[in-house]
Amino acid sequence: MEPFISLSFIFLFLHYPTLSLSTNSEGNALHALRSRLSDPNNVLQSWDPTLVNPCTWFHVTCDSNNHVIRLDLGNSNVSGTLGPELGQLQHLQYLVLYRNDFTGKIPEELGNLKSLISMDLYDNRFEGKIPKSFGKLKSLKFMRLNNNNLTGSIPRELTRLTDLKMFDVSNNDLCGTIPIEGNFESFPMESFENNRFNGPELKGLVPYDFGC
Amino acid sequence: MRLIRIKHSAMASICMCHFILQLAIVFTVVVPPIVDSNTDSYWLLRIKSQLIDPLGALKNWSPTTPICSWNGLTCEVDQTRVIGLNLSGSGISGSISHEFSHLISLQALDLSSNLFTGSIPSELGQLQNLRILLLYSNYLSGVIPSEIGNLSKLQVLRLGDNMLAGEITRSIGNLSELTVLGVANCNLNGSIPVEVGNLKHLVSLDLQVNRLSGFIPREIQACEELQNFAASNNMLEGEIPSSIGSLKSLRIMNLANNSLSGSIPSSLSLLSNLTYLNLLGNKLNGEIPSELNSLSQLQKLDLSRNNLSGSLTLLNIKLQNLETMVLSDNALTGSISSKFCLTGSKLQQLFLSRNKLSGRFPLELLNCNSIQQVDLSGNRFEGELPSSLDKLQNLTDLVLNNNSFTGSLPPEIGNISSLKSLFLFGNFFTGKIPVEIGRLKSLNTIYLYDNQMSGSIPRELTNCTSLTGIDFFGNHFSGPIPETIGRLKHLTILHLRQNDLSGPIPPSMGYCKRLQLLALADNKLSGSIPPTFSYLSQISTITLYNNSFEGSLPDSLSLLRNLKIINFSNNKFSGTIFPLTGSNSLTVLDLTNNSFSGSIPSILASSRDLTRLRLANNYFTGTIPSELGHLTELNFLDLSLNNLTGHVPPQLSNCKKIEHLLLNNNRLSGELPPLLGSLQELGELDLSFNNFHGRVPAELGGCSKLLKLSLHHNNLSGEIPPEIGNLTSLNVFNLQRNSLSGIIPLTIQQCTKLYELRLSENFLSGAIPVELGGVTELQVILDLSRNLFSGEIPSSLGNLMKLERLDISFNQLQGQIPHSFSQLTSLHVLNLSHNHLHGLIPSTFSGFPLSSFLNNDHLCGPPLALCSEETVKERMSLSNAQVAAIIVAIVLTSTLICLVMLYIMLRIWCNWIKVAISSEDGVMVEQKTRNGEYWNMNSPEWFPSPDKQNSSTTCICNPKIDAEARENTLVR
Repeated sequence: MEPFISLSFIFLFLHYPTLSLSTNSEGNALHALRSRLSDPNNVLQSWDPTLVNPCTWFHVTCDSNNHVIRLDLGNSNVSGTLGPELGQLQHLQYLVLYRNDFTGKIPEELGNLKSLISMDLYDNRFEGKIPKSFGKLKSLKFMRLNNNNLTGSIPRELTRLTDLKMFDVSNNDLCGTIPIEGNFESFPMESFENNRFNGPELKGLVPYDFGC
Repeated sequence: MRLIRIKHSAMASICMCHFILQLAIVFTVVVPPIVDSNTDSYWLLRIKSQLIDPLGALKNWSPTTPICSWNGLTCEVDQTRVIGLNLSGSGISGSISHEFSHLISLQALDLSSNLFTGSIPSELGQLQNLRILLLYSNYLSGVIPSEIGNLSKLQVLRLGDNMLAGEITRSIGNLSELTVLGVANCNLNGSIPVEVGNLKHLVSLDLQVNRLSGFIPREIQACEELQNFAASNNMLEGEIPSSIGSLKSLRIMNLANNSLSGSIPSSLSLLSNLTYLNLLGNKLNGEIPSELNSLSQLQKLDLSRNNLSGSLTLLNIKLQNLETMVLSDNALTGSISSKFCLTGSKLQQLFLSRNKLSGRFPLELLNCNSIQQVDLSGNRFEGELPSSLDKLQNLTDLVLNNNSFTGSLPPEIGNISSLKSLFLFGNFFTGKIPVEIGRLKSLNTIYLYDNQMSGSIPRELTNCTSLTGIDFFGNHFSGPIPETIGRLKHLTILHLRQNDLSGPIPPSMGYCKRLQLLALADNKLSGSIPPTFSYLSQISTITLYNNSFEGSLPDSLSLLRNLKIINFSNNKFSGTIFPLTGSNSLTVLDLTNNSFSGSIPSILASSRDLTRLRLANNYFTGTIPSELGHLTELNFLDLSLNNLTGHVPPQLSNCKKIEHLLLNNNRLSGELPPLLGSLQELGELDLSFNNFHGRVPAELGGCSKLLKLSLHHNNLSGEIPPEIGNLTSLNVFNLQRNSLSGIIPLTIQQCTKLYELRLSENFLSGAIPVELGGVTELQVILDLSRNLFSGEIPSSLGNLMKLERLDISFNQLQGQIPHSFSQLTSLHVLNLSHNHLHGLIPSTFSGFPLSSFLNNDHLCGPPLALCSEETVKERMSLSNAQVAAIIVAIVLTSTLICLVMLYIMLRIWCNWIKVAISSEDGVMVEQKTRNGEYWNMNSPEWFPSPDKQNSSTTCICNPKIDAEARENTLVR
């Protein structure tokens, strides 16, 4: 008789976990991002998860405490989706993802980036709503979401962002009314162009998501 | 597999011995055979002549020897015809001759386990008496000839372990007497022929490890005597036919690693003799049919790596003979049934890893008292481990990692004396390691990483002298490493990174002589490396970074010849690093941020696989060894922040894979080697803060992947080469504080990804190029200050919408601040001071501090003094038509307002006259002024006035501005 019992059981033991590789949550978060992306130009080639931290990865900048403060993937021909793990980059100041082929929703968890100063997501194919959680981005000064496929209304939580200097959602599919409170009183008309807005908010007359 | 074959041939040779003995007895009466073409001997000798027989298996095949005494032959009782030929395992090579077909009485032909090549001759189909044909384990190629189907008496056909290709011939269905069909480990393709269903007496069908595709034929149900059906490792697809349930004799079914889909047919429960069922690695979905519980003979069950869902319905109390259950890598949910096990269970292995099972640790499992291996990893189990865990007295492997278990380890774990592997990582365990752990004499692996455990590492752990692996990384263990650690003579892995351990490394650690990986990083350890470390001759990885180690390295460390990865960064080590150069297998050497001194040993270059060499922030002196140029695998070279002198060795340009080259903050001198431009992978080049002179080599434009180029704070002179424009990926470019002259090359506009550009403190001249306005990603800073730039500020700079800091101070710029600058909405630091600018400061800049504008010719407006009439006029004259229109508009509007107000006042006045209240007029005036704000409501715009907008934007970043301004003034 030829041997017929496969060795599958034995193989299972080889599955046994090896050593823990790294703890750096920021590196893990970025590596999780990488695993979601298609990267034909190999811009993420240097993202080696076995390194102690991601500070020597290209397109990643750290501060002197080895915390990630910049992620520069603008115009890099990457595609795919963002995941919740990006929200772990607690020290991130610049999230630069413009002019790529990012799709899917903008994760709610980006609202946890409490150090974020600038969010450049323009010129992609993001869809779904602008997360309400963005109202927690207390340090945010520049938010560029223009030229995507975003829908829904502008969350009123954004009017609480007292540092916001630049807000651009033009060329999306947003609806409802445009807030006029907080810093929104200073953003130019062009920031809202080419959407399905019903014009500026008229307090007490219509709900802000009227027509959505 | 081989073992079985050897047994086979041994048995055969024993039989053969008997036979030869018998022959010897009758030998004298047998007449020597006459050689003619009608005899078997004639054909056998012809066959022999075509074979290569290095072991002499056919040595006694000669005309002078009676044929029935020839090795491997079996004759008929009447000694006339050959009925059996067995040359198995004789080391014979050559092809299988078609002349075998002349041995017409042959009933058994066994050529297995030789070195036969070529194809199976179709003429074998003429052996009408053949009952057994064994050709397995050769190097036969080609197809299975359809003539095989003519062997109508064939009972055993085994062709496996060859290189046969093509389809399984359909004529196989003619072999109605066949009991064994084996074609495993070939290269067969096509589908399983439906004619298999004709083989009514088939007992064993082995098709494993081929490239068979298509469905499993339903017709197989007709093989009622089938006991073994093995078709694993093929590309079979479709559903498992439920008709398989009628194979009542089946004992073994192995369909692993195919692409079978659909659900598991409940009819499998009819296979009452089944002892082995393996469906791993398919695409099966749906629930596991609870009917399978009736397979009372089943001993081994593997359904892992499918998409099975639903709850775990299989129960050991029904599957009483089950020894192994593997359901890992599915999507099973729910908890383990309380009836899972009964005392007396035979279950030895239970693998449920990577499902979605939940609930507390299944107490039911404690009844499985034969159990040896439990793997519940990668599920959603929670709660504490039961203290009665020690009921499992045969347990060797407890694998509970990656769940949500909480609480502390029960001390009773020390009673499971058979325990070898304890995998509890990736849970929420707290508390101390119980000292009872020291009773586990068989324990060889304990992985507790990624938990919340605390307390000290008990000295008793070092009683577990079988330990080979300890991983406690990512807990809160404190106190010292046990002094007695050296008792663990078999330890190969000690991973204690990221805890709160303190104190020194115990000298006894050097006696863990098998140690290969030592990771003590991210703790509060101190002291120096004990000299006993030189005994760790097997060690390949030592990571001690982020501790407070100090002192010099023991010389004897140079005995460690297998070191591959060393990371001592962020400690206080001092002295020379020569003791670390004993190995020529280094791949990573990171000593960043210590107090090492002396020179960089050129012998480091003998580690040809070195990829990362990081010696930054130490006190290294001397030159950069040119031998580093031999390191062709080098990816990261960081020698920054030392006291290195001399030149950059041009040999470094041989390190073609280098991505980071950081030599900044040394005392290096000479010119920059143009060959650096050949480093195609270079992403970061930092040569700043040295004494380099000469030109910026134009060849650097060849480093097309360069992202950061930092040459600042040197003595570089000459012009900025226009080849810089080839660096289209460049993000950061810094030439600050050199002696560069000439103009900014217009090619700079091709560096479209530049977000930081510093050219300050040089002798650059000419106009600021209009093209700079095309670098629209400029964001962090554009610093052109302290140069000799002249002419007007190009209005194109107003396109830099993302720019946050702009410094063009200390130049000779003239003219006015361009209107377009009002678009610089991201700007929060601005310095235009010390130029020859004049005219009105744009109102959008009124929030910047005074220092942003000081020392110009005639700048005016907030925050400087208000402009004189002339200045305003001059400003306005730029757009006469617009101004005219605006004036007309203002005049008209104000006239209108005046009229309206006049009307209102008249009305009010009239009313007052009527009521005749004697009150003063001042209140009224004030009210009106306040009411003046409401004009916005009526205006066509729904934004407030531009002035208001500015005040709000500037106050956002006022604190920052002050800080930045201070920074700027401190540069020189």
